[in-house]
Amino acid sequence: MANVAKKVSWSGLDLAEEPMGEVTPLLNGTGGTVLPPPRQFTHSSFLRIGRLSTVDLDDDDDVRELEVDVLRPFPNEIPHNEKLLSLKYESLDYDNSENQLFLEEERRINHTAQTVEIKRWIICAMIGILTGLVACFIDIVVENLARLKYQVVKDNIDKFTETGGLSFSLLLWATMNASFVMVGSIIVAFIEPVAAGSGIPQIKCYLNGVKIPHVVRLKTLVVKVCGVILSVVGGLAVGKEGPMIHSGAIIAAGISQGRSTSLKKDFKIFEYFRRDTEKRDFVSAGAAAGVSAAFGAPVGGVLFSLEEGASFWNQFLTWRIFFASMISTFTLNSVLSVYNGNPWDLSSPGLINFGRFDTEKMGYTIQEIPIFIFMGVVGGILGAMFNALNCCLTMFRIRYIHRPCLQVVEAMLVGAVTATVGFVMIYCSRDCQPLQGNTVAHPLQLFCADGEYNSMATTFFNTPEKSVVSLFHDPPGSYNPMTLGMFTLMYFFLACWTYGLTVSAGVFIPSLLIGAAWGRLFGIALSLMTGGAIWADPGKYALMGAAAQLGGIVRMTLSLTVIMMEATGSVTYGFPIMLVLMTAKIVGDYFAEGLYDMHIQLQSIPFLHWEAPVTSHSLTAREVMSTPVTCLRRVEKVGTIVDMLSDTASNHNGFPVVESNPDTTQVAGLRGLVLRSQLIVLLKHKVFVERASLIQRRLKLKDFRDAYPRFPPIQSIHVSQDERECMMDLTEFMNPSPYTVPQEASLPRVFKLFRALGLRHLVVVDNRNEVSSWQWVLDREME
Amino acid sequence: MGPAARLLRLLLLPGLVLGLSSGQSLFPGRRSQPQSSPEERVPGTRRRLLSLELMEEAEDLSLSLSGELAGLEPECKELLLGFANSSLQLTGCLARNARPVRLCQSCYRHFLRVTEQLENITRAVGNASEGTSCARSLLMSDRLQMIELLSSFFNRTWKTANCANCLKNNSEGLSSTTVEFLNLVNITLTCFEHNLQDQPISLLQRNYTEVCENFNATYKNLSAFYNQMQKTSGMERKSEGESHLCIDVEDAMNIVRRLWSKTFNCSRPCSDTVPVIAVSSFILFLPVVFYLSSFLHSKQKKRILILPKRIQSNASLANIQEKYNSAAE
Repeated sequence: MANVAKKVSWSGLDLAEEPMGEVTPLLNGTGGTVLPPPRQFTHSSFLRIGRLSTVDLDDDDDVRELEVDVLRPFPNEIPHNEKLLSLKYESLDYDNSENQLFLEEERRINHTAQTVEIKRWIICAMIGILTGLVACFIDIVVENLARLKYQVVKDNIDKFTETGGLSFSLLLWATMNASFVMVGSIIVAFIEPVAAGSGIPQIKCYLNGVKIPHVVRLKTLVVKVCGVILSVVGGLAVGKEGPMIHSGAIIAAGISQGRSTSLKKDFKIFEYFRRDTEKRDFVSAGAAAGVSAAFGAPVGGVLFSLEEGASFWNQFLTWRIFFASMISTFTLNSVLSVYNGNPWDLSSPGLINFGRFDTEKMGYTIQEIPIFIFMGVVGGILGAMFNALNCCLTMFRIRYIHRPCLQVVEAMLVGAVTATVGFVMIYCSRDCQPLQGNTVAHPLQLFCADGEYNSMATTFFNTPEKSVVSLFHDPPGSYNPMTLGMFTLMYFFLACWTYGLTVSAGVFIPSLLIGAAWGRLFGIALSLMTGGAIWADPGKYALMGAAAQLGGIVRMTLSLTVIMMEATGSVTYGFPIMLVLMTAKIVGDYFAEGLYDMHIQLQSIPFLHWEAPVTSHSLTAREVMSTPVTCLRRVEKVGTIVDMLSDTASNHNGFPVVESNPDTTQVAGLRGLVLRSQLIVLLKHKVFVERASLIQRRLKLKDFRDAYPRFPPIQSIHVSQDERECMMDLTEFMNPSPYTVPQEASLPRVFKLFRALGLRHLVVVDNRNEVSSWQWVLDREME
Repeated sequence: MGPAARLLRLLLLPGLVLGLSSGQSLFPGRRSQPQSSPEERVPGTRRRLLSLELMEEAEDLSLSLSGELAGLEPECKELLLGFANSSLQLTGCLARNARPVRLCQSCYRHFLRVTEQLENITRAVGNASEGTSCARSLLMSDRLQMIELLSSFFNRTWKTANCANCLKNNSEGLSSTTVEFLNLVNITLTCFEHNLQDQPISLLQRNYTEVCENFNATYKNLSAFYNQMQKTSGMERKSEGESHLCIDVEDAMNIVRRLWSKTFNCSRPCSDTVPVIAVSSFILFLPVVFYLSSFLHSKQKKRILILPKRIQSNASLANIQEKYNSAAE
C-alpha cells in the first residue's frame, strides 16, 4: 500500500459540492426509521448544507465562549460574530478512498505513470499561459478605460475652470465612478457573491481543505475579471493584483478537470485528475501563476503558494508550480510587449512594474537600518489599525448590509465619495508643480498657473498602480509634504472602507500606496532634518514604507519580501525589505490579526491553522467527537441508506461501515468507510445485490469521476418502493482502511492528523475496534 | 612605445612649448574652419575664441611632432582635427544657447557636422587595412577614449533635449510645425513686449486686464497649437513611454506661459467654492444617511445556532460539562 500512496488515483467522490439552496427542501421525518446499528442514535449537526442563516455555533478556541452560548435555548438566533462556524462550508476530501476499484485501477495504470506526469506538466504550462492572458486582458482594458475616464473628467474640469461651475465636474466624476462601481457591484452581488474581495482568503481556505461553494467555477472567473476591471476603472481605492491570484486558481481548477460543468462541456481529457487531491495541486500552481502575473515575480509566486496557500505541500509540486509561474509571467510579458509596440522586448514582467531602482544612487548604509526598523514598527501599527477598523466595519456589514441591493448601494456610495474626496483635496490643494513634458499622465491645471499642474491631482487622478510608481520614482521635491500627509490620511480611510465591499478588488495596491505615501513623507522629513543628505532619497523610503504597510496588513513575510525584490528588480534592498516586513509582522501580530485571517474568521469558515489551539491539550478525541454515529452495515438495505442520506439532520459526508451482523444488539466491528457521494452514485446506478444479474458491467471509477465535482443531491434520485427493499453490498466501494484513532487520543494529536493528512473524517474506535463514534474535519470541535 | 620613445618625447618638449608661443605663425594656413555667423555677430567673444584657437594649434604642433611616432597616419590626423573643430563649435553653440533655450534651432548644423565627422572616423574601420588602423588608433587605443566620450556626451545631450522632435526627418532643418510654432511665439512675445514698453513703470492690474483681453486670442491660439503638437508627438512616440517635445518648443512655451499667468496674471480661473462645498458635503453626507438607516431599519441578520452533538464528557471540566448537558437537551 505504501507505494500506491504517492500516485493515488481515485479518491472516491470526495466532495459533495451541493450548492447551497438546492438542498434546502428539508426532506425530514425519516430520521426515526433508521435502523440503527448498536450505539448510534441520532446525528451530528455539522456539515449540514443550509442557507446562509444557518450558521453553526462552535466553541471556537474558547471553551468559555461555548459555556456562555449554550445557556440559551436551543434553536437560538444570535447576531453574527466571529466565533461562529458556518454550515455552508464543507471539507474537501484530500484523502483517497482506497477501495477495491481504486486499487485495481492503480495496478492497471502503473505502467502509464509517465504519461500522467507529462500531462501534469502540460496542464501547468496551460495554466501559466491562460493566467498570463487573463492578466493581459485585465491590464489592457483597465488602462484604456481608465485613460478614457480621466480624459473625459479632465476635459470637463478644464472647461469649467474657465467658465465656472466646477460642481458639475464633481458631479460628473462622482457619477461616472458610481456607475462603473454599480455595474461591478451588481454582477458580484447578484451573480456570484463569492467573487467579492480579493479572493485570497477563499483560495487560502480551498488549499487548506475547505470547500467554499462556487469558489472555482468558471462563472466566478468571469465575474471576477469583469468586477476587477469595473472597480479599478470606477476609481475605488483598490488594485487588480489580488484578484489575479483567485483568477489563476480558477483557471487551474478548470483546466485540470478538462471540462466545464457550467458550460456543460466535457473535453474528455485529463479525466484522471478529477478529484480533490490532484485539483488542489493544480490550484496551488494557479495561485502561484496569478501572483507571478500580477507582480512579475515567479519565485514570489511559488513562495506565496507555499506560505499563504498550500497547507499541504508536496516537494514534487514545487518544480511544476515554478514552471507554471514562469510561463505565466513570460506570456504576460510577450503579449504586453506586442501591445506596447515593441515586440519581444521582454522587460515588462508584471501587471505592476515598480520600475528600476538605481542601486548606485539609492544604496543604503548601515546607519539606515534602525530607521528601516522604525518604519517597520510604524507599518505594523498602522496595519493593525487598518485591520481592526476593517474588522468592525465588516462585522457591521455582515449584520446589517446583507441584502444585495443594499450592498450595491453601499459600493456606489463609496465610489462617489472616493471621487468627491479626491476632488475636494485637489480643489483645496495649492501645490503646483511645473509641467515636465508628458511624464504626468493627466496633468490637471485647475487653479495653477499655466504650465504647471496640481500635484495632488497626480495622486488622485490616476489608477493606484501608477500613483505607487510615481511615489517611488518621482525626483525629490515633486511632492509637497502637506499634500502627501493629507493624501495618506484620506487614502488610509478610503482603502479601509473599500475593502470588504461587494466588489472584486485587491488590497495589495492600496496598502502599497498608503505605505509609499507615508514612506515618502518620512523620507522628505528625514532629508529636511539631515539638511538634504544624499542618502535620504525619498523614493527609497517610499519603497520601505510600502513594504511596511503591506506587511502590516497582510502579514506575509517570506513571499512578500521576494515579491517586492522581484518587482523592484533590486536584490540590494532584500535585506532592508526583509527587516521591515519582519518588524511589521511582529508588531502587527501583537495588536491584531492579519487581514486575510480576520476575514476567514469573520466569514465563519472553519479554517485549520498550523497548530492545534493551546487550550485543547486537556481534551481527548472522545470529548470532541460527534456522537452518536450513523453507521451502515456492509450489506445494507437501500431504504435505510436513502433515509439516512435524506435525513437533513445528519448531513454527514462519510459513514463508517460495520460488520453486517443481523444481531443488532451486538457491538459491531469497524470494516471501512463509505462516502456520501459514493452512496449517491451507487444509488443512481442502482447497484443492488438483487439486480447484480441485470447490470451489464461493473461500476468503474469513471462513473464516480463523471459525477465529480457536483454530485446530485439525494432528493434528485428516485428510489421506488420495491427498490427500497433491495440490499446493497458496499464491500467493493468502501475504503477498507480508514484512519482511526483510539478514544483517548489527545486533541492536538487528532488535529495533526486532520491537518497534515487533509482528512475529512476520522473514525474514533474503542479498544475492541468498535466504532464508537467519529468526527468530521469541518467540525472544528477540537478548537 | 619603449623607453627610447619616451626619451624622444622629452627632447621634443621644448619644441612644443616653442610651438605654443608662436603657433599662429608656424601654421598660418591651418586656421580651422571659417567661424560661423553667430560668433561674428557677438564681438565680445571674438578675442576669447582667438586664444582658444591658439591653444588648439599648439596641439596641432604636438600632434605633428609625435603623431608619426605614435603610429598615426596623416589621414587619421586630418580626421581627428576635423572632429576637434566641429566639436569645438558645437560645444560653443550649446553653451551660448543654454538660456533661453535655443539649442535645437541654433546648433543642429553643428551637431550634424560632428556626427558626420565621427562617421568618417568610424566608417574607415571597414574599408582598407590602413583605414582599420586609423579608426583603431583614434577610437580605441587608450583607456580614456576621448572621442567616444565626447560623442556620447553630445548624443546624450541631443537626446535629452529631444531635438529630433522638432527637426525634419533627415535632421536638415526645423520641421514645419516647429517653425510655425516659433513664429507664433514670436508674435505673442512681440505683443507682450510692446505692452510692457507702453506701461513702463506703473504696472497695475487694470492695465494688465487690458493686455489679457487684447491678446487672449493670440495666446489661446498658441496654446492650442502647442497642445496639438503635444498630442501628435504623444501619439507617435507612445511606445517609448515618455514623449517630450523638443526643448526649444517647451521652453518657449514656458516663457510665454509664465509671462501670461505670473507677470500679467491673466489666467484667473473663477473659483466657485460654494457650489462645490454644497455638492461635496451632500455626497459625503449620503453614506452617513445610508449607514444610519440600514442600522436602524434593516433587520439584523440572525444566525441559527446549532449545537454540536458530542458525547458528554465526565473526565474534566466538570462545571462546563454540566451546562453543556443542560443545553444539549
